[in-house]
Amino acid sequence: MARIVTPTAFDAIDPKKRVRNVALTFLAVGVGVLVLYLLEGIGSTKLVQALALFAIWGVATVSLNLINGTLGILSLGHHGFMLIGGYTTGLLMLDEAARQRILTSARSTMTEETLALSVSNLLRGFGLEALTTPETLWVRFLIAIFLGGLLAAFAGLLVGTPSLRLRGDYLAIVTFGFGEIIRLTASTRLFSAYTNGALGFPGVTSEFGKSIWWTFGALAFTVFVISKLKYSSYGRAMQAIREDEIAAQAMGVNVAYHKVLGFVISAFFAGVAGGLWVSWLGGVRLDFFLFQLTFFFLVAISAGGTGSITGVLLGTAVVVFVRQYGDPLEESYSIQTWLYIASATLALAAAGAVLFRTLRRLRPRLHWGSWVLVGGAAAAALVAAVDPAVIEGTFRGFGMRAIFLSVLLIVIMVFRPDGMLGRTEFSWSWFLREQRTGPTDEERTQDAWLSNPAFGSEAGRAAAREQELAEDDTDAPEGSDDEGRR
Amino acid sequence: MTLLRSTRNPTWRRFLPLLVILGLVALVVWRMLYLGSVGERFNAGFFLRAFIDSVKLGSLYALIALGYTMVYGIIRLINFAHGEVFMVGAFTTYFLFTITPYALPAAIVMAIILTFGLMRVVELFRGSMRDPIVLGVGAIGVVVLTVALSAFTWPFWAAIVGSMLATGVLGLSIDRVAYVPLRSAPRNSLLITAIAVSFFLQNVGLLAFTNRQTPFRPDTPLTTPLAFEVGGAPVLTNWLLVAIPVVTLVLVIALTSFVTRTRLGKAMRASAQDAEVAQMMGVSVNKVIATTFLLGSMLAAAGGAMWGLNFGSLNQPAIMGILPGIKAFAAAVIGGIGSLPGAVIGAMIIGFSENFLTALFPRTPTFLGITEFKDTFAFVLLILVLLIRPSGIVGEDLSEKV
Repeated sequence: MARIVTPTAFDAIDPKKRVRNVALTFLAVGVGVLVLYLLEGIGSTKLVQALALFAIWGVATVSLNLINGTLGILSLGHHGFMLIGGYTTGLLMLDEAARQRILTSARSTMTEETLALSVSNLLRGFGLEALTTPETLWVRFLIAIFLGGLLAAFAGLLVGTPSLRLRGDYLAIVTFGFGEIIRLTASTRLFSAYTNGALGFPGVTSEFGKSIWWTFGALAFTVFVISKLKYSSYGRAMQAIREDEIAAQAMGVNVAYHKVLGFVISAFFAGVAGGLWVSWLGGVRLDFFLFQLTFFFLVAISAGGTGSITGVLLGTAVVVFVRQYGDPLEESYSIQTWLYIASATLALAAAGAVLFRTLRRLRPRLHWGSWVLVGGAAAAALVAAVDPAVIEGTFRGFGMRAIFLSVLLIVIMVFRPDGMLGRTEFSWSWFLREQRTGPTDEERTQDAWLSNPAFGSEAGRAAAREQELAEDDTDAPEGSDDEGRR
Repeated sequence: MTLLRSTRNPTWRRFLPLLVILGLVALVVWRMLYLGSVGERFNAGFFLRAFIDSVKLGSLYALIALGYTMVYGIIRLINFAHGEVFMVGAFTTYFLFTITPYALPAAIVMAIILTFGLMRVVELFRGSMRDPIVLGVGAIGVVVLTVALSAFTWPFWAAIVGSMLATGVLGLSIDRVAYVPLRSAPRNSLLITAIAVSFFLQNVGLLAFTNRQTPFRPDTPLTTPLAFEVGGAPVLTNWLLVAIPVVTLVLVIALTSFVTRTRLGKAMRASAQDAEVAQMMGVSVNKVIATTFLLGSMLAAAGGAMWGLNFGSLNQPAIMGILPGIKAFAAAVIGGIGSLPGAVIGAMIIGFSENFLTALFPRTPTFLGITEFKDTFAFVLLILVLLIRPSGIVGEDLSEKV
């Protein structure tokens, strides 16, 4: 007798809850759009730029997370793909005045043929004169970032096909190597006709990269595509590869295909992010695409939660905030001030250590390391307060933001390697007191070990009993055979 | 046994490496002769200069690559921060021979660091930090070094030794702070941490040392010019041509004999083979790992000092360590990661590909040369080796792993 399992309050696929969640999501998006609209009107240029940068880097981190989080491969070559997308977009969207300037400049290495490459000329070639007016700049920009993404995806295919056969850390080094090769060869004479060598070129329109609507549109598109992918059969295959490559292969997952597919899609969005990034910067230069960029993305992913799209966006917000609003850290202060800052930092670190040890119930709560930190804090404060000699002079904390981010990454890796959200996605249930206390009935019945009647719920137990009965019925004649064999 | 081997490896296959090497040499000689007939410039002196540069660069890469290969051999971590350790070693040397004598507080701090390094080195042979000799070295060392740092201008050789000790301490602290808590973590987390440490050191270097290219010209007889003639062509170089390979050779021999002859070296080899079992047999694996970081960082510091001497200047800290570091890692992989001789062989290959290969395809009126691309050779070789023979030239099973 089949028993109908009624959906419980904890059930993830309850249709009512689903409708509610979708409605809440739409509401949140609506509120978000409204807030963005208000911020664009009220907020300072700096804020708008920071928001745009958040969205651009969000595109990059969400796409990098497809490789690093969903596919479980550590890829360190994202800046290379962004470079390809960025240079393509930059070259195709260069305005006419800038082209003339480059053509007449003596140091430039670009030729007339490469400078003739632009979306306008392409559209003219197709006879679409209507799309080359200043009003339709956005169509050209769309085409340019799409082409940039395609080129980056092609590069991803070229890079991924041979290298994805390697395992773990070798693969990381090879992707790093490819990223650096892309950057190092971009300035050589193979490509300098397109990239203008080490000089790069200014004069890319920043109308789109600095617009909240364009960048957040791109981010929404990226999140939509990548989350759809994550929950599709492709995404599940990718997660299976992340968990155990050999087991996934044994279950019939085409490992190489899924890896290359993930890599190519990620490279496409990296190219799109590169195009927007170039537009945000208003020009192209080689040092806009250093390994540093990939490092920032790694910090964002690790801080937010590897594998979780919402977590990664949270991490990106942190990184962008530090980058855009951390400039007080890099200003020139007197050495006394710096000593006080150091003292406060050490004291905070000691407090954090005590808190951590308390929460983890480690004893003694005051580890000797904390005493060292406290001692250092006291010493720094003492020197600052007493010694007049060191108070003279100022010191500029050049690079403090990067130091802060790298320390943040080390701390996260040591104390919470899963990041803020781990692999879980944001869910409305967090706010509605619907914490799941255990697996759903469906999960219980699916899971062989948990469906053991001793562990299962009432429903699971009933299902197990039925199954047992059914097996007893069919196996009854063979049961004696079994015993005989034993 | 011989029968077994011959069935596994047919005769032609055993001679394959030799044939490949001979073929390569023949190609190189042919190319050199061809170039000699094309231009007056490409005489014996031209190629000898390239050869010398290759050997020097290869030796420098070897010093860095040994650190990578030892660490990878034991904890399977690509120590991304090793290039930055190399950078710190170079700058520490610089600050030891230029701005000594220090003010007293700085001298005391530096003396404590150096003494700690010295004690760790002596401990390698005594077995315990509580050993009376180690403690004695510590007590005398602090006093002597404080006086030495606050009273004298250090000669170059002392600066190198001091920098090796200080950088060794840096390696130890990186291991202690960043890697020890992650011993049981997934390897990707470990690699990300290593990248973070590398980034941290780059920016701290930028903040603490300098943010521009720094001239590195110590007062040492090693840089006195040395001129000779080969086949009628003058070659002008300096004594570094001898010094760098000799220093590398001495350090590599010292390291190899440490690994093969001492108790701790035996423990290192055991941990490289199987850390878990070694631990069960009473090897303190954490201590072994700390030792590899100490030794690797010391070699990298020596490499950094030699690097500055060779090129006459140090790049700014944020970029100085990256390329040499990653190329040395490529060298370690090419040679066969985990193997000491492999690292040296791989480093020489990278050195030769960067200098000698570019000399074989130089700039001529009809061809622009391949010098522009020389930074990419290491990556290309790395990728090729990983795809064709992931165990490297000196494959894992053939060599002694450390």
